[in-house]
Amino acid sequence: MPRRSLTVRILQVVTLLVVTFLFAALVAAAFFNDGKPLTTLSPSGPSSDSIQKLVVPVFAIAGVVFLLVEGAVLLISWKFRAKDEDDPEEFPEQVHGRTFLEIGWTILPALILAGVAVGTVMTIIDLNREEPDSINVQVAGQQWWWQYKYDVNNDGNFDGPEDIVTATEMVIPAGRPIQVTTTSNDVIHSFWIPGLNGKRDAVPGLRNPLKLEADEPGVYRGQCTEFCGLSHANMRMLVRAVPTGDYDAWVRNQLKDHSAEPTDPKAIEGKKTWLALCAQCHVIKGVNDVKAKTTPVPLVAGVAPDLTHLMTRGTFAGSIFNLYDPTDPDDPSVLLPAGDVASAGNPGAALTGGAVVTANVNRVTLEAWLRNAPAMKPMYPQGGRGMPNLALTEDQIDQLVAYLETLN
Amino acid sequence: MALTEAGPLALTSGDSDTVYKPAGVFTRPKSGATGWKSWLTTVDHKKIGIMYGAAALFFFIIGGVEALLIRVQLWAPRGTLLSADQYNQVFTMHGTTMIFLVVMPIGAAFANYLMPLQIGARDVAYPRINAFSFWAFLFGGVFLNSSWLLGGGADGGWFNYAPNNGVIFSPTHGIDFWNLGLIITGVASLAGAVNLIVTVLNMRAPGMTLMKMPIFTWMTLVTQFLLLFAIPVLTAAQILLMMDRLFDANFFNVAKGANPLLWEHLFWIFGHPEVYLMILPAFGIVSEILPTFARKPIFGYPFIVFSGIAIGFMGWGVWAHHMFVSGIGPISVTTFALTTMFIAVPTGVKILNWTATMWGGKLSFTSPMLFSIGLVTMFTIGGLSGVTHSVAPADTQQTDTYYIVAHFHYVLFGGAFFGFMAGFYFYWPKVFGYLLNEKLGKANFWLMLLGFNLTFAPMHILGLQGMSRRIYTYDAGYGFELWNKVATIGAFTLASSIALFIFNIFYSKSKAKNLPAPGADPWDARTIEWMIPSPTPEYNFDPIPTVSRVDDFWYRKYGETKDGKLVRIAATDDVVQKLSDGKHIHLPSPSYWPIVLAFGMPIAAYGLIFNLWLALVGAIIIVGGLYGWVLEPPDDPEASHDDDGTDTHASGGGDAAVTGTSESADQSNELDPAKEAETVG
Repeated sequence: MPRRSLTVRILQVVTLLVVTFLFAALVAAAFFNDGKPLTTLSPSGPSSDSIQKLVVPVFAIAGVVFLLVEGAVLLISWKFRAKDEDDPEEFPEQVHGRTFLEIGWTILPALILAGVAVGTVMTIIDLNREEPDSINVQVAGQQWWWQYKYDVNNDGNFDGPEDIVTATEMVIPAGRPIQVTTTSNDVIHSFWIPGLNGKRDAVPGLRNPLKLEADEPGVYRGQCTEFCGLSHANMRMLVRAVPTGDYDAWVRNQLKDHSAEPTDPKAIEGKKTWLALCAQCHVIKGVNDVKAKTTPVPLVAGVAPDLTHLMTRGTFAGSIFNLYDPTDPDDPSVLLPAGDVASAGNPGAALTGGAVVTANVNRVTLEAWLRNAPAMKPMYPQGGRGMPNLALTEDQIDQLVAYLETLN
Repeated sequence: MALTEAGPLALTSGDSDTVYKPAGVFTRPKSGATGWKSWLTTVDHKKIGIMYGAAALFFFIIGGVEALLIRVQLWAPRGTLLSADQYNQVFTMHGTTMIFLVVMPIGAAFANYLMPLQIGARDVAYPRINAFSFWAFLFGGVFLNSSWLLGGGADGGWFNYAPNNGVIFSPTHGIDFWNLGLIITGVASLAGAVNLIVTVLNMRAPGMTLMKMPIFTWMTLVTQFLLLFAIPVLTAAQILLMMDRLFDANFFNVAKGANPLLWEHLFWIFGHPEVYLMILPAFGIVSEILPTFARKPIFGYPFIVFSGIAIGFMGWGVWAHHMFVSGIGPISVTTFALTTMFIAVPTGVKILNWTATMWGGKLSFTSPMLFSIGLVTMFTIGGLSGVTHSVAPADTQQTDTYYIVAHFHYVLFGGAFFGFMAGFYFYWPKVFGYLLNEKLGKANFWLMLLGFNLTFAPMHILGLQGMSRRIYTYDAGYGFELWNKVATIGAFTLASSIALFIFNIFYSKSKAKNLPAPGADPWDARTIEWMIPSPTPEYNFDPIPTVSRVDDFWYRKYGETKDGKLVRIAATDDVVQKLSDGKHIHLPSPSYWPIVLAFGMPIAAYGLIFNLWLALVGAIIIVGGLYGWVLEPPDDPEASHDDDGTDTHASGGGDAAVTGTSESADQSNELDPAKEAETVG
């Protein structure tokens, strides 16, 4: 045995203590999910709850196995360590194996896993069971935002005149099952609202099912989880679960269009800018029902967010910025991203078609976005993927915001 | 097999004056040369193994710097060190580098260097192909990394899903570099796999049946079979992608009716066996080290071997667990959940057998032993989190979050890399003739264990609390700040442990002059590679030993009584082989052609990207290289060895003292693997 070094011994003790403390702290942290809007450990709907009921015992079993194996290795390392006074020519008993033991520890884990398998299969069946009376919503991913189509008249078609097209935020009634179908208009994305269910990839050309249901009204955040290119990190989504009555009002409002002319002179000017520039990609129903064909660079995904009812949403640009409740109260010039504030841009009465309280609108961020969108969120407009810098004048921006504020 | 008998090219050694050469026939480089030039033409499996290791450590530093960039970017919300575009390139190249240019080649380094020694061979079956494998790997890796200087690295992730890997979504050449670079390293892996499989099956020392092979050799064999069948699947997918990207084909074009899941299936049919072929060499290494320092045999040799083989088979039936959320349907999900669960069984068997090997032993905690125990404990964590992924509904929450990042780093760093570190410390004296400093080695271990856990353990909770993978930024308010800071601190601790390892290499080298040489057998080890001098002489064994049981070398030193007691029957010095001049041993001659042939491939690949005329130049180099290779005479004309058909081993010496277990050393004269190797390689 080489001489023991004090430095090494100190390092060893520090490492063992820190790692033990670290593991304990991590286990403890799993019980603190407040202020963690994307946590998977605090289910808010039946699907996420049945996953949780499966996960907890599996983690418990894994934890026990972990303690047993690591404990055994540490204990054996201590108990059977060579000592300085040992005779180097004296050897431990030469055991080559014990077949029955080895068969035992082949079968035992297989039995434990068989138990886990039963729970797994039952949960898979549960998660795939179709719910009666569910609302059908098609969720389409594209770089780097989400589009939602509601089959309001339940005819199996998401594109009828009776149906709803919206973007960025998904509004659902609390306590009622939603049958989501995911798909994509460009690359593979993944739709994930951890509070409500696991994720489901949105694959171009495929239609993948996913159940969602929120037990209580509230805001449930999500994040695209299949790497989808440049702004993957900024492709977020948000489910706004509301009481059933509010949902019905929301649906009625979403079915309206905006054919009425604005009255405010600024908004009238803003609408002209809209028709000249924004309408190349975006749609406002009743104003330009089909996007103009003059797009300088055709969008790869073929679609931009429908802005007919922009102001009914609390967030924009892939849910990374708040449309309402905007800025740092101490310094209104500081832009706050959505994740920074507990409330996700509350649209208030505008959600169901009520008046927009313009004082609450996050003008600073919205104007910054119109000034130079690619500076606010990495995009690739030169290749038809994302919003370009439209080089608007300050007057145009002002007027455009005034117009957008009418889109309740 | 050609060119050995009488004919215009038969350059009978020692008879060079009767030879005439057709165009393109060059004599082979001189064997026995030293200096840097000898490394370029070498076909010696040991030099090739060392070059694999050195190149892999070089790429490890590149991949490590990329990892540190990632960790600095994620130190706090809204990191500004890297742009989104740069971050996507960095994490793609980090994963690609660590997998294809670090873990796989370190496995190849150990396989190349050790496996022929463990089976008592002179060299691998096809020495020139072996050299070609290395150069193809190195040039492929350099080609891949040259993308940084030629318009940016790949930005599609190491898994590079379609259609995001198409030209529309990734218009730079990064993915072309990724694609063609990995096709080249794939050729290297495939050539290596065939070579090593043939070596293990055909070139074992007399008496070494399959069930007497060292476990590392067994794991190498399983690994090479996995490579042999897995790499072609990736290469096929990459050729389709190359057609799409460079020649406007439509294999993954959804608008033309493609199903993008095709890529996912092909990638993971390669990708999951890939995981096992990365970890099995490390399993083999610790299976050699644990018994050595427990001073008792591996517990349940057949179980360890067969569980490795079982992993090799079952590894083909679990790929779609990477696709639980991709929409493959509940039946497929259930099937792959169950297969994935049960692949944990053979893996668990290994852990328990290693633990039982330690039980009742007399454990000395040298650096290799510490790293081996590090593998057992850390891999267990990765294995357990792996089982939680097999619970498919749970995986729908966990997949593509940092929980997965934690899992596979516990497998690939805590498992494979800790095993490799154990192997470096264990085999360093055999390879370089000096021991690495033990005090620094132990400090290295504890620092690495600390840094590793600080980096990757917090990622479990980050993932479970919703942090997605592959995001260059996150906002405040999600509760990710604390654990990201811990992970970044851990990453720098880990980096410092790597720096300590590199320091130890040079420090120990400088101190080695004043220390006694480690000798053939510094650890009182078990397998036959320890009975040859350190560093290994060019000819490996002289004479080739005859093997009679597992751990043959051990039982030349010790005998076992009926009740399991061990008694020394021979002094180590009497059992080990003495250095001989090796003049009478026929070794494969060096060759110019492997490096030429390999060099043509990146040239052709640059040509495919930038200018097809350049591709033509590459193709000419490849064809020219093959031409030269085929016509090359079998020998360096000046190589001196007895050419009477039987190399003599009379001067070997050591085996005379062997007692008890191995008696007929000179039978090995009938089977000289080098002779075989020469004629076919």
